[in-house]
Amino acid sequence: MLKVKNLSKKYEKVLAVNKASFEVNAGEIGVLLGPNGAGKSTTIKSIAGLLRFEGKIEIAGKENKSIEAKKAFGYIPETPALYESLTVWEHLEFVARAYGLKDWEDQANALLTRFDMDDKKKKVGKELSKGMQQKVSICCGLITDPKMIMFDEPMIGLDPKAIKELKEIFVELKNRGCAVLISTHIIDSIDEVWDKVLIMNKGEIVYNRTRDEMTASGESLEKIFFSVTEPEKEEESA
Amino acid sequence: MSSVFYLLRKSLKNLIKGAAKKPLVLIGYIFILVFIVFIIVASFMPSGMVRNGNPQLFKSIMILVFTVLYYTSLKLGIDKGSTFFRMSDVNLLFTAPIKPNHVLLYGFIKQIGGTFFMMFLAMCQIPNLRNNFKMEAHGVGVILLAVVAYTLAYPLLGMVIYSWSSKEKSRKKLLKRIFDIGAVVVALLFLLSVVQTRDFVSAMDRVFNHPVARYFPVIGWTGSIGAAAVGPLTTEFYVGAIGMLLLILGSAITLYRANLDFYEDVLEGVEFVEAAYKAKREGRNMTFNLKVKENVKQGLKGEGARAIFSKNLLELRKTSLFLFLDRMSLITIIASLVFRFVMPDEIGEMGLFVVLCFSVYLLMLFQIQGRLVNEMEKPYIFLIPASPFQKLFYVTLSEHLKNLADGCVLFISAGILFKGDVATVLACIFSYTSFGAVFVYNDVLNRRLFGWVHSKNMLVFIKIIASLLLLVPGIVAGVFVYAMTELQLLLILTMGGWSFILALTFFMFSAGILNNLESAG
Repeated sequence: MLKVKNLSKKYEKVLAVNKASFEVNAGEIGVLLGPNGAGKSTTIKSIAGLLRFEGKIEIAGKENKSIEAKKAFGYIPETPALYESLTVWEHLEFVARAYGLKDWEDQANALLTRFDMDDKKKKVGKELSKGMQQKVSICCGLITDPKMIMFDEPMIGLDPKAIKELKEIFVELKNRGCAVLISTHIIDSIDEVWDKVLIMNKGEIVYNRTRDEMTASGESLEKIFFSVTEPEKEEESA
Repeated sequence: MSSVFYLLRKSLKNLIKGAAKKPLVLIGYIFILVFIVFIIVASFMPSGMVRNGNPQLFKSIMILVFTVLYYTSLKLGIDKGSTFFRMSDVNLLFTAPIKPNHVLLYGFIKQIGGTFFMMFLAMCQIPNLRNNFKMEAHGVGVILLAVVAYTLAYPLLGMVIYSWSSKEKSRKKLLKRIFDIGAVVVALLFLLSVVQTRDFVSAMDRVFNHPVARYFPVIGWTGSIGAAAVGPLTTEFYVGAIGMLLLILGSAITLYRANLDFYEDVLEGVEFVEAAYKAKREGRNMTFNLKVKENVKQGLKGEGARAIFSKNLLELRKTSLFLFLDRMSLITIIASLVFRFVMPDEIGEMGLFVVLCFSVYLLMLFQIQGRLVNEMEKPYIFLIPASPFQKLFYVTLSEHLKNLADGCVLFISAGILFKGDVATVLACIFSYTSFGAVFVYNDVLNRRLFGWVHSKNMLVFIKIIASLLLLVPGIVAGVFVYAMTELQLLLILTMGGWSFILALTFFMFSAGILNNLESAG
């Protein structure tokens, strides 16, 4: 569903992402891990069509910046930013219009209820706390019923109930055949849901395995993470 | 496109509904509306005032103003890409299945809405201009047309420039160099004219009212539109108007057709805009774009509250141009000296007093959001184990030293240029520093007293009014002393002395603000 081939992104002299290649299939939850500054957000923003890059990115078989590809994916950014003067409901209506959705109201109501936002429908963006803005941002990403969805540090600012709901949503999305890519640096937050792990360090994908492949190796995700991101320290402690 | 128009329609509707719900905001909007109507009506009414301002000077001022505006906004555009988008547009609109050129059109429509604010600012200057220059019936219209042309042109040009310069660092360097060389050439030409003519106004006319300047693309075109306010609609006006129309359309079409991948170009600019909005909401000055020097080798000294002073000094060293001098210092110093130059010769020996008044006015505007606001955003100031008096003293000490240093540079220069005596120069430095202290502690005290006022703009308004009212007794006393003695020195010392006492009193009452976060407002 998502194919990234030789993705490179350079900011002036800094090579933020260097020839990253990976795939996330339909019905698969991929998790993009890495320390701060590893290139995760740049990768996600490149996939979302916000940056120019070298290489090839395809979503549902289409070039990622095409209108067809944009219809197929959802994106929940790291920092939620809503229209200050639009209500929660109007945000959802705007997204529904932008994506040409029909009969979206029931789905919108269900999502808002799920995130305890049904009583905030008439609140405008600037009246919401950061956590509530994040919930609206997630609802906007989910309402389009995407074939592929990307979450950039989605747990930040959410309350425990919303985190629980979101984890269930990851699994539901997977079960209905959606490809899910979650970028995070908090390993524990996604430990029970992922199918494929991609670890980035210094702009490169340094580890790319499915859960089965990793389980067979007998090592924990945390141990692998440190061994590939801080090999020198691992050697010293060994 | 329907979703884009939905967004615009709803945003506008909710903005109006939101204003209606908040009486203070509504009153503000009504006030602005009444003001605009008043200005328009007044501009057509006959006036008994004698307006003898030279129309050529008006034309020079117009071109000078747009030279500064374009230079600053487009130079920023090289680095950040001037933008009319917000982060919500990036997250929701850029990623939606909408053609980028439709997104660009949406941004452009938003920017047209934004021109209203610039038009309001321009209107505020119209009464002043009408008092000094003989304006034609079409005067107000052409000034507003020039403002609209500028407000539409600079973000489009900024984006065109950024999309070209962002591809290679060498291009950015080249463009910056061209801008800076241009600025230096203009400054040198002006200085040369001042030396040759020995008259500030004539020098302005020679440089900024030169045919090359009047027909100079973009800057000259925009200036020539506004300059038509004091004369007939000449060829210059039509060339300017048609030139700007073609430029705006050309830039928009270039971006609309050619650069369909502009999202990255606006991304950094959006971050800058968001930081500016955040600063505005929090009632502090925008410091996002300050260049921080990396090679400053100054350690931290002192313990307890003194450590804050030491840290502030280090911050000043890292962000200033030289010692305490920063961009604001330069603006204050240059603008105050220029102000004295353009004042009529009749003010005679009161020259230093005029410089003091104008520089204090600028100081008030610049210090209305003091350094302390940035300090109180962080918890450290509240946690440091020292008394609130000590903390307030040390946290503001660097501000006083900066004002003292700025005052020294300004008034020693003014003393040399306008032949002031040493005692008056010293009195001016003392008064300038004391006024600065009043503004610093007035800011703190107002936060303590009116911290509950939700609107940061309203808080700024309260602070300005409070500063002005509290300074009145000193001004009255100063004028009284001057009437008795006719000594400029005593006038300045009286005003400075009152400010000094006022600053001390404010200090005593405002230290409690550092007790805890809640008292900080």
